Amino acid sequence: MSDDTAPALTALIAEKSIRLTETATDKFDAIRQVGAALLEAGAIDASYIDAMITRENTVSTYVGEGVSIPHGTLAGKESVKNDALAVLRFPDGIDWDGNEVFVCVGIAARGNGHIALLSQLATVLMDPAKAEALRAATTSAEVYELLKPDPEQEE
Amino acid sequence: MPERTVTVASSVGLHARPASLFSQAAAKAGVPVTLTNAAGKSVNAASILGVLSLGIGHGEEVVLKAEGSDAETALDSLAELLATDLDKD
Repeated sequence: MSDDTAPALTALIAEKSIRLTETATDKFDAIRQVGAALLEAGAIDASYIDAMITRENTVSTYVGEGVSIPHGTLAGKESVKNDALAVLRFPDGIDWDGNEVFVCVGIAARGNGHIALLSQLATVLMDPAKAEALRAATTSAEVYELLKPDPEQEE
Repeated sequence: MPERTVTVASSVGLHARPASLFSQAAAKAGVPVTLTNAAGKSVNAASILGVLSLGIGHGEEVVLKAEGSDAETALDSLAELLATDLDKD
């Protein structure tokens, strides 16, 4: 793997960055809410939110399983103070370029930290049962449980 | 089975934007394509989650494999994509 020292996903998610009953008018509204959660967690400067919008305009961050992963551009990395994730659930769903998104996982990472984070997150979402559980999660404990490192995935 | 070994050129590795462009291209290839990382883990190249799960960084060597009548053409174009920096905005 590219980064053996990667922290667990769960270590990067502040409990207040897990928000499970949100509503958004469209995907950009959702991205700004995800960005606001990262900002409140002290992980980014406000300019990172604009970098997240720029990124989304360049290419959709929808990854499948009703999940998108908004994050900033390469240039936006300078606005990241510390690596962090925010998990926002939109129970009513948001139209995301023709796909329906229920969970946005916002990512702020410096350097190449995002690669290991995305790898861990994608591995969780490739398990349909875990992806379904994440889309239906109603407590932060459930989110932590789903995203915690899987001992069987350790190499 | 035809295969290509490619060094990933995207400066930030195969993450969201490069991974998205790559898996979209793989989905349109017309033949099933597998992507294998340096650690030997293989996934369906058309699955963005699969591609992301490999955690492929810049400069990492990966192997593309495909079978079928269009395999050679598909592998050539996908290998070219990986050898391009897809993260230039």
